Amino acid sequence: MELFIQRLFDGLFNGAIYASLALAIVTIYRSTGLLNFAQAELATFSAYVGLVFAGGSVGAGFGGALPGTGLLENWPGYPYPVPVAVLVAAIFGMVAGALIELVIFRGLERGSALALVNVTIGLLIIVSGLTAQFFGTSARIFPELFPAGFDDFVSIGGARLRYTTLGSWATLLVVLGLLVLFMNRTKAGLAFRAITSNREGARLVGVPVGRTLMLGWAIAGGLGALAACLTAAVVSFSPFTMLGALIYSLAAATLGGLDSPKGAVVGGLIVAQAQTLMPAYLGLPTELAVLAAVIVLVVVLLFRPSGLFGTARVERV
Amino acid sequence: MTPAPPRTKTESPYTGVGSFGWLKWALPVFLVLFPLVASDLVLRRTSQTLVLVLAVLGVNLATGYTGLISLGHGVFVGIGAFAMANLLDEMNLNFFIALPLATLVAGFAGFILGLPALRIRGIYLALITFGFALAFGPVVRRLGSITGGPSGRPIDRNIDPPAALGLPEGWYPEYRYLISLIVVAIWFVLAKNLVDSRIGRATRATRDNEIAAVVFGINPTLIKSGVFSISAAMAGTAGALQAWLFPFVSHEQFGVFLSLRLYAAAVLGGLGNIAGAIYGVVALLIVNVFNRIVGAIGSDAIVFGLGLIVLTYFAPHGIAGVIERQNARQEPKPDEQ
Repeated sequence: MELFIQRLFDGLFNGAIYASLALAIVTIYRSTGLLNFAQAELATFSAYVGLVFAGGSVGAGFGGALPGTGLLENWPGYPYPVPVAVLVAAIFGMVAGALIELVIFRGLERGSALALVNVTIGLLIIVSGLTAQFFGTSARIFPELFPAGFDDFVSIGGARLRYTTLGSWATLLVVLGLLVLFMNRTKAGLAFRAITSNREGARLVGVPVGRTLMLGWAIAGGLGALAACLTAAVVSFSPFTMLGALIYSLAAATLGGLDSPKGAVVGGLIVAQAQTLMPAYLGLPTELAVLAAVIVLVVVLLFRPSGLFGTARVERV
Repeated sequence: MTPAPPRTKTESPYTGVGSFGWLKWALPVFLVLFPLVASDLVLRRTSQTLVLVLAVLGVNLATGYTGLISLGHGVFVGIGAFAMANLLDEMNLNFFIALPLATLVAGFAGFILGLPALRIRGIYLALITFGFALAFGPVVRRLGSITGGPSGRPIDRNIDPPAALGLPEGWYPEYRYLISLIVVAIWFVLAKNLVDSRIGRATRATRDNEIAAVVFGINPTLIKSGVFSISAAMAGTAGALQAWLFPFVSHEQFGVFLSLRLYAAAVLGGLGNIAGAIYGVVALLIVNVFNRIVGAIGSDAIVFGLGLIVLTYFAPHGIAGVIERQNARQEPKPDEQ
């Protein structure tokens, strides 16, 4: 029992990451019908930009100081506390997301699936190139965001719930709360909901569609950056770390229903628990948990494309 | 009274079978004579390029001709390569037996992994195939007995030309180049005949309007499954040749970025156009050369990705589309003759 709770706790941290990234993907999908395969790359780049402010690498033998940190060395107060760095990353992610919508996707509003996929893949390739160009490709250890020492845990029923997990979920829940408030209490949020339910109708009654879509992209960019920062604070972080999380996030978003924010969070939790529990109880090798994610992806799309909470797609023929 | 203008190639949204233009005769002659002038190193690189063209052609066949967006053809390249490694090294088979077998293995994998494509299309199929590409690396790392695990495996046996030929070792690169060229050429002829045939018309009908295709008596299930398997087999041959040319296989060669590069090259070159695979890989090479000149790590990816986005906006039929438009302009109009 103790071991079981421990395993549940172990999966919680990944759950927060997958949920944030899945939420970013869902936010863009429900407003534009586009699956942003580049989300992980964008998140990685934003996190690197933010973490330059925190002084980059602290571990020895992991790629040394983060390139770009030299530029900031003479700024007052450098290196900045990690929360500031995370905030910078999130803001950078938001601005980048908004700009990407404006410059790249605005003209493709009625584009075919093929055109959307092409441009998304182009974006993915560009951002991966930018990351390699500016920050290199080696793994780094970043400063901790939450206490992550040996004794930093709460003991529940003998199992250890680590502060990093608690902190990540607290951050995620605060952001979610703000998002819900924003969507339900502000005019911009209302416009966003109007667009997700009927884009042409919203345009007809005067909702600024382009600007609102930019907002959706900004939210997604910020969420992705947050997910990458939370990851970077815990594991050694390389440009490929978030790509590893992307398959689970895509599975989570699909399982929850591609147009359901609630589904993204629930899906993230389920997928992360499956990832830790299946190897433990079914004797699967850890790496093959990724197969479970692929199977979830295929099975859900084949037999229940709306997932757990999504709305069913109706296709006119 | 003026007669109705003849339909030019550029009128149809996809350019159909595609034309090679002057490349039709110049390229084969050049490629066959190439070993006479090229150094061993250049020959090795060119062999590798030919293999890449073949893999891109596989993506083109699935995505361009049949409308099955595949972001996961790197998986089939990988399966072909690992199959080849085991057939040559473990089972001690001759190259000429191992190559078709590796192709069959990849084709069968394509049949299985292509089954979701029967019901899922568009961006959701892209999602699934992207998932395959993302998952392939971790799975390969785990299956160490077949793939060599994280460190990869060398291939030691059956990679040299048959002893009966009595070739001196200095001629090995030429031999490998010519074999690759022949295999790739066979696939090109097969692909060209396939897309020109009744099946090819059926694939395009399925791509453009599946319901109309059914009305005309086409079986979309058969077409999609068949073409996806063939395109996977093509990518598998590419992987098998790659493993034979450079006798070492590891999961790092077949990660998600291989799949994405193949897809990007197919789109850049021109989907739904056989020659597009060649143009796409040439674009990839030019970008690589640019990278070497600039000397920055990620610059080739940046230029390539930008090219993909710009082309989607301004030349949706890729480089092949641009070239065909030029050709159509230069051809004299029939009423002026």
